[in-house]
Amino acid sequence: MSDLLSVLEILSMNFQILDWIILLLYLGASLFIGIRARRYVENMEGYFVAGRRVKVALGSATLIATEIGVVTFMYFGELGYVTGLSCFVLGLIGFLGYFVIGKTGFIVSGLRRLRVITIPEFYELRYGRNVRLLGGILLFLGGVLNMGVFLKMDGIFLTETMGFSPDILYIVMTVMLLIVISYTVFGGMFSVVITDFMQFVILTFGMFIATIFVLMRVNIGEIATTVGKQFGEAGVNPIVNPRFGWMFLIWMLIGSVAISALNQPAVSKSFASESPVVARKVFLYTGITLAGRYMIPMFWGVAALAVFGPTLNPTTAMPKLLGEVVPSGLLGLMIAGMLAASMSTYSAYLLAWSSVATRDIIAPLSRRELSERTTILLSRIISTLIGIFILIFGLYYQLPATAFQYIAITGAMYAAGAFGCVAFGLYWKRANIVGAYCSLAFGAVAPIAFLILDQFKSSLPDSISFLVDVNISGFLSFLLAASGMILGSLVSQRTHPPIALEAKNRDGATR
Amino acid sequence: MTDTALVWIILFAVSALLFFGTAVVITVIGIRDLRDLLQRSETKK
Repeated sequence: MSDLLSVLEILSMNFQILDWIILLLYLGASLFIGIRARRYVENMEGYFVAGRRVKVALGSATLIATEIGVVTFMYFGELGYVTGLSCFVLGLIGFLGYFVIGKTGFIVSGLRRLRVITIPEFYELRYGRNVRLLGGILLFLGGVLNMGVFLKMDGIFLTETMGFSPDILYIVMTVMLLIVISYTVFGGMFSVVITDFMQFVILTFGMFIATIFVLMRVNIGEIATTVGKQFGEAGVNPIVNPRFGWMFLIWMLIGSVAISALNQPAVSKSFASESPVVARKVFLYTGITLAGRYMIPMFWGVAALAVFGPTLNPTTAMPKLLGEVVPSGLLGLMIAGMLAASMSTYSAYLLAWSSVATRDIIAPLSRRELSERTTILLSRIISTLIGIFILIFGLYYQLPATAFQYIAITGAMYAAGAFGCVAFGLYWKRANIVGAYCSLAFGAVAPIAFLILDQFKSSLPDSISFLVDVNISGFLSFLLAASGMILGSLVSQRTHPPIALEAKNRDGATR
Repeated sequence: MTDTALVWIILFAVSALLFFGTAVVITVIGIRDLRDLLQRSETKK
């Protein structure tokens, strides 16, 4: 009885009964709709890319939902709290990256035309089976590590906004993850697209509510004054801000194009689109919303600085503000929106990484060809295992630098090499297998060195201490990957002639 | 408020409006797309 009372006491801190009803209704509806989508899965293409029948608006909604998660709110909120208005520049850079892809179809249209399901499939078409295997392993490891931090950030957000104790929190997070695993495993991309759409609507509404209440609590003038007092010029100028600077901005500019076009969970949405033109347009419309969806949580973070001052833990300041300003009833809707954001991200990531593990690691290692049925079954098992992994990883791993930089560096681990292989493979005829190996290996070196050396940074000699600067490490990864591709290909043209891609175009070149 | 701060605030306001406005359009057209996807998938089966 006392246990029950203490649970009720905890639940009543920020979150009221009405909030709970809204949240439970939302979770139940997600599970029901997601699992019902199982009936649309007719084959492997149906499971992994929804039969490639997704149109522009639906594709944009599902891509936006995938890219917005509580983790993005958390790291952008944290950035706003510690850098002021200068972090808004990331919204502009991200917008530019998507706009370039959306207008030109850079990478995404080319990959969609080839009808691949995963990025490493392209490696096999252009460079051979072994490159696919290596690329698949790097993509899988980098991707799952990248995802590992999501649950931790979600947990911090919910603790602060709902007022939960860690014990209750882990139950909520585990239930949420189990729901996501259930519908993703059963319905594949159909479940992901349908639930993503529903989640897109709810999360947008949640963001709207949060922004209105933040604006009611703190005015713009107060925010600008606080930023000026706290950071001076660095609060509005990203070039002089010690957390950013030129190198970071250039890395982000290259990375925004590379990671946008080569992030398997996101790009699989363009693979699900009904044509290469639709794939390009999905990126264009998603890009139009990008600056806003970066800047809104950053703004919440800056507002938290204005309200609470600079003494709070930067990670918890923004959710603490939302927990205080949004009233009961609407808090339930907002939390449902935030959980919707997370669930759509988890489902897309689970499906993407399990498809890479199945199709690009297990299948190439298997002695006989896997049937569609076996591939789907394996993908379902791996989705479940990844879910268990992120639950455990999220509880124990301590983040280096800021969450945003951790995610950017683990993203660079696979995106840098992938960018070298795919961009050069699509647009440079001399790209060959040696260049591909060099690109994948060189692109992964700097981020892996960062993740390992960061654990011993206090005892590192000065000569290599620059490797634990997250910005230098991220920038180097792209530079090394591109250099590796160019040099590796040029020195081995005679011994390893490039494989022409035109002959393998599987969807016609005109669309 | 400095001029640079004002520029960022204006950029934020424009970006936020663009986000919410596009979201409304995507929602309306997306419902039609979703219905179409499910009907075509049902027919194909």
